[in-house]
Amino acid sequence: MADNYTMLEELGSGSFGVVYKAKDKTTGELVAIKHIDLEGSDDDIREIQQEISLLSTCASQYVTQYKASFVRGVKLWIVMEYLGGGSCLDLLKPGAFPESHIAVVCRELLQGLDYLHQSGKIHRDIKAANVLLSHTGRVKIADFGVAAQLTNIKSQRMTFVGTPFWMAPEVIQESGYDFKADIWSLGITAMEMANAEPPNAAIHPMKVLFHIPKNPPPRLEGPFTKDFKDFIAQCLVKDPDRRPTAKELLKHRFIRNAGRIDILQDLIRRSRRWDAREDKNAHPKYYEETLKDLSPQVEQEEWIFDTVKPAAPAHATIKRRRLERIPSDASDCTNPYASIAPGTRLRELDPQEAPLHSESPAPKPVSRKSGGGDRRRSSGMRKTSGQNSTRRVSGNKTPLGLDMSFGNSPSTVRQFRRVSSGGHAKQSEQPEEIPVLEDMTECRPPRQPLSKTPSSASTLVGDENAPPTRNNPQARSPSKQKQGAQRVSMSQAESQPPIPIVPIAVTKESLLGRRAYTKVIDSAISENLAQTAESGKREALARLATSWQVLDRVDPEGEFLFLRSLIDGLREEPKLAAALGLSPASKPDLGISTSGLGLISANSSFASGITMVDTPVSIPSTPTKQPAHSRSPSKPSNARSPSKPSTAMPPPPPPSQPRHARNSSHQPFNQPSAAKVSPPSTNHSPAKPRLVLAQNNPHLKSHHRRRQSAIVGGAIDVERLEEHENLISSFAPHSDANGLTDVLYGRWVEGLKSRWGMAG
Amino acid sequence: MAFLFPRNKQKTTVEIVRSAKESLQKLSSVEQLPSAQDEALSQKLAQMKLILQGTQETEVSPEQVFQLINLLLSEDLLYLLATNIHKIPFEARKDTQAIFSNAFRYKSSGQAEPTALHYVLTHRPQIITALCHGYDRRESAMPCGGVLREALKYDAIAALILYDEPTPDGQPRNLAEVDTTAPASGKGVFWLFFDWIVKSSFEVCADAFSTFREILTKHKALVATYLETNFTEFFTLYNRALIQSDNYVTKRQSIKLLGELLLDRANYSVMTAYVDSAEHLKLCMKLLLDDRRMINYEGFHVFKVFVANPNKSYAVQRMLVNNRERLLRFLPGFLNDRTDDDQFMDERSFLIRQIELLPQANSEAMAGNPDS
Repeated sequence: MADNYTMLEELGSGSFGVVYKAKDKTTGELVAIKHIDLEGSDDDIREIQQEISLLSTCASQYVTQYKASFVRGVKLWIVMEYLGGGSCLDLLKPGAFPESHIAVVCRELLQGLDYLHQSGKIHRDIKAANVLLSHTGRVKIADFGVAAQLTNIKSQRMTFVGTPFWMAPEVIQESGYDFKADIWSLGITAMEMANAEPPNAAIHPMKVLFHIPKNPPPRLEGPFTKDFKDFIAQCLVKDPDRRPTAKELLKHRFIRNAGRIDILQDLIRRSRRWDAREDKNAHPKYYEETLKDLSPQVEQEEWIFDTVKPAAPAHATIKRRRLERIPSDASDCTNPYASIAPGTRLRELDPQEAPLHSESPAPKPVSRKSGGGDRRRSSGMRKTSGQNSTRRVSGNKTPLGLDMSFGNSPSTVRQFRRVSSGGHAKQSEQPEEIPVLEDMTECRPPRQPLSKTPSSASTLVGDENAPPTRNNPQARSPSKQKQGAQRVSMSQAESQPPIPIVPIAVTKESLLGRRAYTKVIDSAISENLAQTAESGKREALARLATSWQVLDRVDPEGEFLFLRSLIDGLREEPKLAAALGLSPASKPDLGISTSGLGLISANSSFASGITMVDTPVSIPSTPTKQPAHSRSPSKPSNARSPSKPSTAMPPPPPPSQPRHARNSSHQPFNQPSAAKVSPPSTNHSPAKPRLVLAQNNPHLKSHHRRRQSAIVGGAIDVERLEEHENLISSFAPHSDANGLTDVLYGRWVEGLKSRWGMAG
Repeated sequence: MAFLFPRNKQKTTVEIVRSAKESLQKLSSVEQLPSAQDEALSQKLAQMKLILQGTQETEVSPEQVFQLINLLLSEDLLYLLATNIHKIPFEARKDTQAIFSNAFRYKSSGQAEPTALHYVLTHRPQIITALCHGYDRRESAMPCGGVLREALKYDAIAALILYDEPTPDGQPRNLAEVDTTAPASGKGVFWLFFDWIVKSSFEVCADAFSTFREILTKHKALVATYLETNFTEFFTLYNRALIQSDNYVTKRQSIKLLGELLLDRANYSVMTAYVDSAEHLKLCMKLLLDDRRMINYEGFHVFKVFVANPNKSYAVQRMLVNNRERLLRFLPGFLNDRTDDDQFMDERSFLIRQIELLPQANSEAMAGNPDS
C-alpha cells in the first residue's frame, strides 16, 4: 500500500504524528498522509481506530475526505485528500478576513456541521486551525481526533474535550452537551476570523475555562455589519437549548447573503504572497523514511529453547537492524503540482491537542499576527519526523537503558560501596571530565567487579584489537584535545619544554600515563579491592585508588614517569624482578623490551606495586621532581633524568603501545569507538543493507552507552537480587510463590481491567 | 422533512417497507441497481431511519416504530439488508446500520430482550451470519461490525456465532441442541474471523478484531466452555495467525487480548492449559525480545503468567531454568523506561525473584531429570 504513494514534503506535525504531502502513483492524485507512530503510547490502538471509523463514515464535500489507511511497520498511515489552500489559521497569518469572506466560510462550515450532526457526529474541536481550504476555495472540516459518534442521536456527551478558547460553556461545565457545542465553537471561530484571534486570547487557556462559563458570551465589536454581529450572538447563546442548530443558522441573513466560494481564493493568494515575502517555506522538509528500527537490543541475547547450549550470538537480530529506505523521489519535486504550493502547509488532520494542553494556542495578539504558525511550530517541536523516528534510539524510551543515570545519580555512592570498586568511583566522575568522546566508552562496564576473579582479566584481552594508530589519539581526553594547540610532538617534548598554556600538556608521556591508569591501574586497584575483604585493608586500597585518580587527573605525565621509575626500580632489584617476571633491564632497545609495561598489568605484580607506593605520598612526589619548570611540561626532560638516566633517555616507547593495547586486560575507557562498533556490525550479514553511522553519531553513542550501562545495571541488580535471594531463601520456594502469585494475579486483573476499561 | 409527517403514517410505513423490499429483492440478483432505483431505495432507508430514531428536532412516534419493526421482521427486510448492504450507496449503508441498531435495541414493554433480536434468534439466525460476512468487503465491514457489536450484548448472539456450523440442508442449528463438548469443525463463521483479521485492509481488520474481541470477552462462561472444547484448534490458529502476524496492530492487539483471556477467572482451566505448554512459553519469550517495545510490554503480561504459575509443567520449568541466567540478566533492564509504571515495576521484580528461585540451569538435578 505504502509503495503506492510518492512521498513529498512535510505539511505539518502534531501530537500524533507528521502529515506529509504525497502523490498517488496510480492516479497521480495528491493526497495528505498522516503518519501516526503507534509505538508512541500505551493507548489503546482502538482510539485511533475510532477516529478512522468516524472519518471513513463521512462522505461530504464539506468534510476532508478519508481515503485509506494501513499499517506500515509501527506506523499507521492515514491517507486523506490533499487540500492546497491551507487551514484558516494559516490564512489568518497575513491578517483578519474581510466579513464577506467570513460569511462564506461560515456557510460552508454550517453545511459541514449539519452533515456531521445529521449523522450523529459531534466534531468537538471546531476552530480556524481545523478548517481547511482547497485551492479552489472549498471549505472542509478537518481533524476528527476528538470527535464523537453518538449511537443514539439524542444522547449527550460528558467528555471534556476541545481547545479552551473555542469550548462551549456547557462542555466546560461538564453537565452534558450535544451538537450545539459545535455551534458555539463556530461562533468563536467566526470571531477568530474577524479579529485574527479568538476572544479572550490574552487570557491564559486554563483561566479561560473559568472565564467562559462565568461571563456573558463574547460579543463582536468593531466595524462589522449588524447581520454579522447578530450571527455571532446567535451562535454564542450560552444556553444550548436556545442556541440554534446548524440547519437553522443556514437560514440566517448573514449566511444567506454570503457570496460564492470563489472569493476565498483571495485569501489563499494573499497568504501565498505573505508567505513569499516572509520566505518562510523556502526549505520544505521532505519525507525520508527513517531507519526502520535501530534497536538498542541488537546485542541482546537469545533464549535457549532446546538443549542447554549457548545460543549462537545475535543471528536473529539481523532483520531488526535492516533499514528500509525510500528515497524521496527527486523527480517528484519537480512535478507541477508541487510547484503550485511548494511550501503551503496543510494542516490536514493536525491531530488534536489535549484539551488543556498548555501549548494550545495561547495566542498573544502579537505572536499570532506575526508568527501565525505558532501552534504548528509548537506542535512541531513536540514531535518532528526526526524525533519521531529516532526517539527510541536516543530518547528515554529504551528497553535496555537500565541505568542511564549511572555516574551522576546518588545511587553511585551505593554502587561504589557494594561493588567496592574504585572503578566505579572513577566512572562516576569521569563524565564531567571527559565529556564527549569518552563518555560513551567510559560506560563500558568495569567487568572485573562482576567476575571477581583475577583470571577473568585475561579473558578480555582480545577485546581491544583496534590498530594502535587509532588507539593513540583516542587515548587523549577531549579536554586535552581542545588544547591540541599546545600538543607537542615527541621530538619537541624531548628537546625543549613546550610552552604551557594550560596545566596539562598533551605529551606522549601524559597520554601514556593516562592510558596506563585507565587500562591497568584503575582496574587493578578495583580488582584488588574486590578481592580484599577486610575493611581496613579495603579502606587503604580505596584511598590509594582515590589518590591515584587525583594524580591521573592532575598529572598523567608524572604518573607515567613514576610508573616507569617504579618498573625500572623493580627490574633492578633481582629478586623482585624475578618474582614479577620482569626481564632484566634491556630496555633501551625500543619498544619490545618495554613489555614490562604490559606485564605490570598482571594483578600479582601490581599488588606488590601497591604496597610499595604509599598512597598519599605518591602525589606530592611527582611535583617535587620538577622544581625549575612550570609543572607539567617540564617533566619529560626533567623527571626522566633523575629517575633512570641510563634507560629513560631513549624515547618513551611508542611501539609499546600496540603491545599495550593487546595485553591490557581491562576495559579501556578510551577504546576507540571503532572497536565498539565493529562487533555488532560484523555479526550481521553484510548483504543486508544497513545504516552505517558515523563514529561520532550521537545516536550510536547513546546506543552503545545504553547497551553497556544496561549490562552494568543488570549485573548490579543481580547482585542486589542475590541479597534478596538470601533473604527469601528461608522460605520454601513454592509456598512463597503461591502467595505472591495470588497477589500478582489479583493486581494484574485489576490492571487489565483499567487498561481495557479506557477503550471499552 | 415533509415526508416525515404524512397524512397517513400507518399507510406510509407499509409503503416504505414494501418499496424497499422490492428494490432489495431486485438488488439481490444483480450487482447494482439502476441509479433511479438506487436512489429510491436510499430514500426509503433514510425514511426508515428517521422513523426509528427521529431527528434532533423531532421525537419518534412509538406506534410508528412498533409498526416498522414488525414490518421489518415480517417482510424479512433485515435479512435482505444484511446480504445486500455492500451494494447500496454510502449514506444508505449508514442508514442501514442505524436501522439495524435501532431495531436491535427496541423492546416492547415487558420484554426481556429486544423484539427483533428475539425474532432473529428463533427464526432468522442467518441474519447474524450474513452480518458477519459483512467483513468480506470493505464497504460493508464497518456498518455490519457496528450492528454485530450492538447485538453481541446478548450471549445468545455470541453463541450463535461461536457454534455456527455448516449444515447439510443449509438450515441453521438450533442453539438449544448444540453439544458444547463437540469440537468445532473450524468451518463455522467464527473461524472466519481469523481470516478477516489477517487478510483485510486496516479498517476492516481493526473492526473485525473489535468484534472478535467482543465475542470472546463479553460472555465469559460461554466462551470458557467453548475454548476448553476447542483449545488446541483455537490457540494454534490464534498463535500462528494473530500473535505471529506481521501486522503490528494485529500482533499487539492479539497479545493483549490473549493476556486478557488468560487472566479471566472464568477461563481458569484454559489458562492453566495454556501455560502448561512450553511452545506457548517459547512464543511468549520471543515477544520479550521483539524490537518493538509495546510488543515487549504486552508480551510481558502473558509471560508473567507462565512464571507466576505455581504448578509449572516440567517442560515450562525446564525452559525457564535453561534460560534462568539469561532472564536474570535480561529482566532487570527490561522496559526500564517505564519508571512511572509501578505495577509493571513490581511485577517485573516479582518475576525476577521467581526466576531466581528456580534451580541453576547446569545443575545435575535438572539435566539428569528424565522427561517424565
